[in-house]
Amino acid sequence: MFEIEIDGKIVNANPGENLITVTDREGISVPRFCYHNKLSVSANCRMCLVDVEGATKPQPACSTPVSNGMRVSTKNDKAKSSQKAVMEFLLINHPLDCPICDQGGECELQDVAMSYSSDVSRFNEGKRVIADSDIGPLIQTDMTRCIHCTRCVRFGAEIAGIMEMGGTGRGDSLKIEPFLQEGIQSELSGNMIDLCPVGALTSKPFRYELRSWQMNAVEGIARHDSVGSNIHIQTYKGKVKRVVARNNDNINETWISDRDRFSCDGLNHENRLQKPQIKYDGVWKETEWDTALVYSTKALLREVIDNKEESKLGALASNNATLEEYYLLRKLLKQVGSDNTDYRLNIKDLSNTINLDSNIKIKDIENIDYALLVGSYTRLEQPMINHRLRKSSLNGATIDVINSMSFNYNLPINSEYILNSSQIANLLARTLKAILLSKEQEIPGYLDKFKVSDADTQLANKLLSSDKSAIILGEHLINSDNSSNIANLISIIAEKTSSSTLNLSETGNSIAAKSTGFVPNENGLDANEMLASKMNAYILLDVYPKYDFHNSVSAINALRDEKTFVIALNSFKDSDVFDYADVILPISSYYETSGTHTNVEGEMQSFSAAVGSPKDIKPAWKVLKVLADLLDLSGFNYTDSSKVTSEAKQQIKQNIEHDREINLINTKGVEIIWQPSPYSTDALLRHSNSLQATKIGQLNTASMSASTAKSLKLSDTDNYLGVPVVISEVVADKCVFISSSNETISEKIS
Amino acid sequence: MLNKFKKIIKDFTLNELLFGMSVTAKELVNTKITVQFPEERTPISPRFRGIHALRRYPNGEERCIACKLCEAVCPANAITIESEMREDGSRRTSQYDIDLFKCIFCGFCEEACPVDAIVETQIFDYAFESRDGSVLTKKRLLEIGEQNKKAIDQTKLEDSKYR
Repeated sequence: MFEIEIDGKIVNANPGENLITVTDREGISVPRFCYHNKLSVSANCRMCLVDVEGATKPQPACSTPVSNGMRVSTKNDKAKSSQKAVMEFLLINHPLDCPICDQGGECELQDVAMSYSSDVSRFNEGKRVIADSDIGPLIQTDMTRCIHCTRCVRFGAEIAGIMEMGGTGRGDSLKIEPFLQEGIQSELSGNMIDLCPVGALTSKPFRYELRSWQMNAVEGIARHDSVGSNIHIQTYKGKVKRVVARNNDNINETWISDRDRFSCDGLNHENRLQKPQIKYDGVWKETEWDTALVYSTKALLREVIDNKEESKLGALASNNATLEEYYLLRKLLKQVGSDNTDYRLNIKDLSNTINLDSNIKIKDIENIDYALLVGSYTRLEQPMINHRLRKSSLNGATIDVINSMSFNYNLPINSEYILNSSQIANLLARTLKAILLSKEQEIPGYLDKFKVSDADTQLANKLLSSDKSAIILGEHLINSDNSSNIANLISIIAEKTSSSTLNLSETGNSIAAKSTGFVPNENGLDANEMLASKMNAYILLDVYPKYDFHNSVSAINALRDEKTFVIALNSFKDSDVFDYADVILPISSYYETSGTHTNVEGEMQSFSAAVGSPKDIKPAWKVLKVLADLLDLSGFNYTDSSKVTSEAKQQIKQNIEHDREINLINTKGVEIIWQPSPYSTDALLRHSNSLQATKIGQLNTASMSASTAKSLKLSDTDNYLGVPVVISEVVADKCVFISSSNETISEKIS
Repeated sequence: MLNKFKKIIKDFTLNELLFGMSVTAKELVNTKITVQFPEERTPISPRFRGIHALRRYPNGEERCIACKLCEAVCPANAITIESEMREDGSRRTSQYDIDLFKCIFCGFCEEACPVDAIVETQIFDYAFESRDGSVLTKKRLLEIGEQNKKAIDQTKLEDSKYR
């Protein structure tokens, strides 16, 4: 640490820092376009020129390292005149079409031009014009406005990991454009909109909608994955108009995924449920809230409470409700006398589930030196986790992957194992044996039959030799025959090698569901048991059977039973819900309700409602509270959701104990892994037109190897479960990997 | 003594009355300044700020591009604009309302407009018969602009050399 002088002020600086870092820290404003604190320094806009004593020419603050005793002036005549000259050069080819530019009002060029440029142009020659290309449904380009700061190019190369934008040509004919005709496909592409200092890259769904000064920004949490990225929700006249990133270095830095950014499109979809509805003799009639709630209460009293069949009431919830909603629904059922609550609707066999605690902070992922990724395509499934992993790999970490299919990762993979689930379990078992052998510890009986090869020892040694290693388990294996074995093997391996674990099979807000005890205890029935035994009544919280249930046919049949009374709380219309429900209560969607999201590291982030719910739509926690009041249950007099939060937090269960029994099974026949497209994991995403139009949103493939296709008698022109077959040699044997949001798969899969 | 004598002479010759009557007599023959509104009108400066109008280009295309600068600059929040993408991809207003009850006729909207779309005309004698008549819609503003195209063009031309 030494002292330097900036504008006559003595400030402290660390060796190796650039001048702009120091000025930013000290609150001294230096204009800039190409510099961004999360991107590398390119120093090509020259806007941050400052006068350094001793240097003959002005120096760019972003790429000038500080030195002891340096004397800098950011505002003397030399600095000012060079800044003004650079500004004049930048504006030579800028079209100055601010009145029709969407960036107007939040434009860095506009702001800097106001303070640093002269007000009259001396340029009378023709300006450069660049034809635009369509780069997809999310980003609108207007490259004539581009000032060649290359932030988008560096973002692609450094953060997104796929270099999609690039500069072609030189000098006057330098163009920033996508290299490929297919347009931008990154799952983080929306961040380029935030990064672009001018209006060259703007949001397509938001095009020509509003000026930045017209909107209110509300702090919020994105709930589509188990990261809980911090966002600003921008609203106008009670409607959510745009979502932009909010900085939180512990979670999402300054980035958010496209899923979090563009999902708000779906809120005003015509498919929203607008009014409570009751089914009278098979005919749906819209009604008032009072009527619908009294009708539901009477039905619950009639079907469950009056005839003392409390255990015949069940509650199922999707994995994207808020912590408060899970807690209240659980409390309601408990007070009625039932323990049947579950959110794990997409699991085939609930006695064989993944139980793995995460014990690494998101921000620490970038510091690990070895990661073993099991059954996960983090890039699309949890983009912000993948970003940290990518950072760790750029920092020198080795990443190994064990998957059932080879994926297009945006980070260097050291070695990749393409195996089906029983082979994965066997590999992990052999690795565990190798670890125990090298540590000279006792080998448990279930490992006796395994023979350790050199490759296994290598994998074991990597885990043993690295100081900070992590094993990351994804969501591909949730329905395999060995899912609990794999999770248990991983937790034992992690314990023996002092590795961290990260359980990414938890998606949405499922960790909150688990911690509020929404999973049944020994007295209660789990989701599959409920559906198998005839229940008298159900309360369903935002469940869309074809997407949420593993076996939608049997689930719908069970719910459709005439003797079963179903109260469905949903935010969007769904034909199956109309089919089986008796009362439909329209509930608030994302951003319209207050609540709490628990992310994969256990961080509980509360958020308030950004906008009010539309007329006749109520937040689910209020609906549950009123329902409980009408049932005369005590302890439900909450005035706002924060009261529920504080009560729920006191009862939260951390690290639930589970046995680590291992009983390896060899799967017979072809194994199907169905991974819904990342833009169809909840109802709001499915109703976002812009996301559905992207390449990722339209993923629809059933990948299998040639031998598997042969055994299933399929060719690459056929469909498998309604999804086009893709024959690929990077899929594990006896394994079909379906990436699709096709809702008919859940009907055919079982 | 002398003054007293002078006053008596003045009083008896009706001097002051005659002086007063001479003013009246002069005005009898002078040109008359009374204006018979609305048949007759006094001249108005080209910078007069009356009711608003939206203008079109000579080819009939509306000038307004929904930049919302007038909405932002309006000190009385009298302007409401909703923008959209027209079918041909251009940026246009889907709603352009001026509430004349709020408007203070400061002319800032006209100053802010980058395409000279919103202007204040010289029309000041207007009335509305219903309460919502005070809101000038986009349709009405364009109508006013078309009906008074010549006058607007003329006043803008006259004022242009001072801008």
